[in-house]
Amino acid sequence: MPAKPITLGPFHFKRRGDAIAFLKAMLGRYDVGDRVNADDAVLLRAALENHPDAAKKIGSGIQDFSVRTADFGSRCFWVNRSDGTTEKFSITASIRG
Amino acid sequence: MSLADLQSWLLQQGVRRDLDTITRLTVRNELDNLAPETSVNLSASIDWPRLLLAGSILARSDQRVDQEASLRVATAAISLTNDQALKDAAAVLMGKLSNFRAITLATDRGLVKAGLNGRLGFALRLESQRREVDRSILVQSSGAWLQVNDFQQRFWTNAAGNSWLSASAPTASGKTFLVLQWLIDQMIAGESRVVVYLAPTRALVSEIETNLKELLGSTELIEVSSLPLVAKYKAAQAGGARVILVFTQERLHLLANVLSDVLSVDLLIVDEAHKIGDNQRGVILQDAIERATRANPKMKAVFISPATQNPEELITDAPDGVKTISIDSDASTVLQNLMVATQVPRKSKRWKLTFRQQGSEIPIGILQLASTPAGLKKRLAFIAAAVGERGGTLVYANGAGEAEEVADLISQILPKLEPIDLELTQLAELARKGVHNDFRLAPLVELGVAFHYGNMPSLLRLEIERLFRTGKIRFLVCTSTLIEGVNLSCRTIVVRGPRKGKGHPMEPHDFWNLAGRAGRWGDEFQGNIICIDPEDKQAWPAGVPSRARYPIKRESDAVLELGDGMADYLSKRGLSDPSSIEDMNKFEQVGAYLLTTFMRLGSISAASLAKRHDAASIAKLDQALGSLAEQIEISVELAARHPGVSAVGLQRLLEAFRAYPGDVENLLPAEVASNDSYDRFITIMRRVNEHLFLAFTPDTRIKLYALVVVKWLKGYSLTRIIRDSIDWHQMVGRSYKLPELIRGTMELVEQIARFRAPKYLSAYMDVLHLHLREVGRDDLIDDGMDIGTQLEFGVSSTTLLSLMELGLSRMSAVALYEKIARDDLSREECIAWVNERAGQIHAMDIPAIIIREVRERLALPDEVAK
Repeated sequence: MPAKPITLGPFHFKRRGDAIAFLKAMLGRYDVGDRVNADDAVLLRAALENHPDAAKKIGSGIQDFSVRTADFGSRCFWVNRSDGTTEKFSITASIRG
Repeated sequence: MSLADLQSWLLQQGVRRDLDTITRLTVRNELDNLAPETSVNLSASIDWPRLLLAGSILARSDQRVDQEASLRVATAAISLTNDQALKDAAAVLMGKLSNFRAITLATDRGLVKAGLNGRLGFALRLESQRREVDRSILVQSSGAWLQVNDFQQRFWTNAAGNSWLSASAPTASGKTFLVLQWLIDQMIAGESRVVVYLAPTRALVSEIETNLKELLGSTELIEVSSLPLVAKYKAAQAGGARVILVFTQERLHLLANVLSDVLSVDLLIVDEAHKIGDNQRGVILQDAIERATRANPKMKAVFISPATQNPEELITDAPDGVKTISIDSDASTVLQNLMVATQVPRKSKRWKLTFRQQGSEIPIGILQLASTPAGLKKRLAFIAAAVGERGGTLVYANGAGEAEEVADLISQILPKLEPIDLELTQLAELARKGVHNDFRLAPLVELGVAFHYGNMPSLLRLEIERLFRTGKIRFLVCTSTLIEGVNLSCRTIVVRGPRKGKGHPMEPHDFWNLAGRAGRWGDEFQGNIICIDPEDKQAWPAGVPSRARYPIKRESDAVLELGDGMADYLSKRGLSDPSSIEDMNKFEQVGAYLLTTFMRLGSISAASLAKRHDAASIAKLDQALGSLAEQIEISVELAARHPGVSAVGLQRLLEAFRAYPGDVENLLPAEVASNDSYDRFITIMRRVNEHLFLAFTPDTRIKLYALVVVKWLKGYSLTRIIRDSIDWHQMVGRSYKLPELIRGTMELVEQIARFRAPKYLSAYMDVLHLHLREVGRDDLIDDGMDIGTQLEFGVSSTTLLSLMELGLSRMSAVALYEKIARDDLSREECIAWVNERAGQIHAMDIPAIIIREVRERLALPDEVAK
């Protein structure tokens, strides 16, 4: 299967796997409870907009992103919405669709 | 023959047989469910006039045994004879012993007819009146005369002036009562504007605060507060209402921090002062005393301790030139009957009771149990239920879980009370609504039985203690919290193999601190201590202990006396990974104290403690401290704000902040309402563990700790935290046992949210602020309430804080806050809110005891409660 390239905002990845690895490395740079910084948020926003459930995940609008604990001791990105609600999303789902 | 020889002869031979007889008879009167005796009328054979004469000779001795024998004679003559002349003579004897409360009790009970003085001959009346005058003290503030015993009088006389005082007396000698009286007198008639009353446990803080408020009534001249907030302190300094701040050592440090050590305490009272030797918190207490003294070298200090061997030890560090006085009493105010209970061979429901005193034994009788005591818990429960059926019975259990079970067993063999007393019903309501609907305490108190342990919310615990004092709760099963500083006495105490904390056999002085609670002076003539299975080596590894007193030794001195341990520890503490150091918990607190002292003075040889240790070991410590101090940029002021937290740890944390690659905002705790708050606390606790001190262990529990901290800060009630935990267990399909879950939640709140987290997170924040200033991000520094204070009180909203500032317990404050919409109300606005709803409060489903507290603290008219 040929590699599928993907463009997320200003970033272009030759393979989707590269985008996933990049985002996972980004996740790894944060501690749980951290607010994601503005630069990283640009890429995350693009990734979330690419999510198959984007409309539902984004809801009232993206305020910013956090890293928090998720089920079974894992960690993931969470989107903080304008209305104060929050929801986690998976990097893989955002990229693979 | 000298007087002392005569006294000794009387006790050994002269009246020995009669003394044994009256001991047996008076003790038997104290106990329930004894098998009847068929023997002859023993009291008829006693030569009372001779015995009373002997009693009056023994009363002149200052030896405890002589005084006890004399009090025994007086008590026996009052309760065993019908002859008014003998009873009068016995009352005179009590007067000779300065035991005026016992005379009042005898008169109140109708054992001695009123108008005693009128029946005495002229000479005796003069003598008695002289004694009453001699044994009276003048309360300056009210102009009233107070009748006191020898210890109380010596305290009152010596407490005047500027000297430092250390007073030691056994429990039940009227210590606390007198000290509080004296304190109020100082405040009203004396010069003291700011007094700090240090009580080393939160339980004692709430008790003393409540007592003081009751004694002060509605006076506006003196404020009492247990919150480390500056408003009342500053008002008192500025000439407003004087203030008594009732604090734990940690809270005094919090206040000193807020005031940046510009703190002027006029009088410092340290209660339960022997706890300066406690593991881990003793040195924090020592540090608090030294800190207050540094801030005001003219401060007067008064130390109070239960029976101690060396009360003078506490005042050895008084500033130069300050006079010191130590007073010590071993007087007995009530008779304390120590008995051992042994099973009659092959008769499990029959237990032989034997009285013990100075190596001699007197058989008392056979106790009959209602049911076969299979197992140790049943043994404790059934013996207590039988021997102390008339109430006032305290049962000692090893641990909170055991206390609950023993209380449950006792309740099952007691007759049901019908109808249930209103106050007991209200206490049960508080247990159900304030903890959990199925909290075991609720059905038990309806039967007049309760249990009691340290992590319980104070409102609940204080009400249990109050109803035990008034007799409505007849049996109270307690844990070692009681010897950690709760003033509670009883009529009878039942104990089997007592341990202190988790598993350590109790030392004799701890045992006697506990046993000394038997006998409520002024309410009873005698107290009884029943020790079960005295020969059982597992229960009593060293036998039932003989009377003993606390040796006072500062924790810092005790740790230094361990030899080179401290120097070794200090040399390793600077390593990059200190987690491998053994005995970290033993050395960290004292190590931190030494390091801060070194940083302040340049050498610990200049510190007070140096005089108690040899120069070589001090020099060795100086060397280790010197090489640590070289690595530290943290200022001594910052280090001193966090007693028990090592400056090395603070330095490592600062370095970690400097090396942090991310956005500095992520180093701050997130706002408690934010979605990030819980996760941020997880990361902060891990950061504390890694750099500052391994405070939150094991790592697998950090999430739970963070969760409790967030909920506590959000102002959740204990009920809600417990309910959430149950919901979580059910959601993930984990099994749980309700009593354990309830106790576990209480423990998390008290030990993590209110103790560990404030201590280490407040240090974390201070270092972070230093870092933020270094990197020019002062904009991120919020100068609101310190996180340590927020955590200790479990508040993050202004309304909740205002309610607690008004003197409400957190439980009551939270219950009200659940009904108040706004989160920014001041104290006045809170009072207005309640006043506007005065007619509706009782319809709000708030427990009656909470409404009572609201009414008392907010000084509302009575109809609010109705």
